[in-house]
Amino acid sequence: MVEDEKFFAWLDGELSPEDAAQVEAEVAADPELSRKAEMHRAMSAGLRSAFGTVAASPMPERISAPVRASEAKVVDLAAVRDERLARRSLPLWGQAAALAATLAVGVFTGNMLPGGPASPVRSEGGRLVAGGDLEDALYAQLASATADQGPRIGMTYRDKAGAICRTFQDDGSSGLACREGGNWRIRGLFQGAEGQASDYRMAAGADPRLMDIVDETIDGEPFDALEERAVLTRHWR
Amino acid sequence: MASSQAFEHELTELLPRLRRFAHALSRNAADADDLTQAAVERALRSREQWEPGTRLDSWLYRIMRNLWIDTVRARGRKEKHEAPEEEALGVGEDPREAIEMSLELKRAMAAMERLPDEQREVVALILIEGFGYREASEMLDLPIGTVSSRLVRGRTALLAMLSGTADG
Repeated sequence: MVEDEKFFAWLDGELSPEDAAQVEAEVAADPELSRKAEMHRAMSAGLRSAFGTVAASPMPERISAPVRASEAKVVDLAAVRDERLARRSLPLWGQAAALAATLAVGVFTGNMLPGGPASPVRSEGGRLVAGGDLEDALYAQLASATADQGPRIGMTYRDKAGAICRTFQDDGSSGLACREGGNWRIRGLFQGAEGQASDYRMAAGADPRLMDIVDETIDGEPFDALEERAVLTRHWR
Repeated sequence: MASSQAFEHELTELLPRLRRFAHALSRNAADADDLTQAAVERALRSREQWEPGTRLDSWLYRIMRNLWIDTVRARGRKEKHEAPEEEALGVGEDPREAIEMSLELKRAMAAMERLPDEQREVVALILIEGFGYREASEMLDLPIGTVSSRLVRGRTALLAMLSGTADG
């Protein structure tokens, strides 16, 4: 009688030719073993066929999109790195001034002027916070969501002060907002080059200025999909 | 630069297999897609840790398996405090782009779900994904004898469930 492990190793093609020949002969001579081999072969084939339908079905966007976004980012990486290095060489006050300037440009150009209830940015107690669609998206949208229009969320992470921060893109602009006292306080907002940031495949965070802020404030790693959803259900605490 | 994009290219090619493995490990299609997405994101973030020239598929399966174990452990802790009804009723089904499951696949996933975790991963890697015993033992960091004995127990239990000789 062949022991189980050897029998199955034979069935799976894991034995040396000599051992396989020996088990093969024993199985052929034993109707019960032959039947067992047949049933297990059929079961394995059934499993492969059942799970094969998964591999053959269309890939959900939320799985393939991050790979495409990464591919697009790779192309820009060298340029981004050069630009960041160039900026690092500025004296500190120069960096601060540059940041202030881009912030002002981002906020006060185009359609991003603080305004009515639908405005993506409003002022509350002297602080710029997200409003309108942007606030809704920051609150309810997972990074995996594939919105055709309106704001898209890039990455979610916890900053060094313990607040949840999320990057977003909307209509050519990209930015960063962090949860503060029931609002999403705007920590950075940048107007991308015309048409550039609205490319769907452009990963949020690809704007080098935004990436700098993320780098400076992030505590550890960005959240993955499971962590992001967990923190959403805890209302971003 | 070209090699970086080759990474994404190869990853894209492997997505269907990874997703299949996720379905073999998970209790439903939505969990499987969450797991696949998390594994892809982790792989993209940790790409520097992959050594070019080594097998990308083994590396990705390993990432997915580790994430799955974390999820299983976290769920174990959580469900000590919560009623298990949700699972029994199949609530928590989440239709976001999850695949249409054939009856065959539903039965197969339900049977896999009833295997102990350590048998399920071995069955998934060897019988469904087609890895050899040695490859599986390397991915799981287990002696080959352990892989082999878990596989015997897992497939024997599965056959009992799927052929209807046990309840199920």
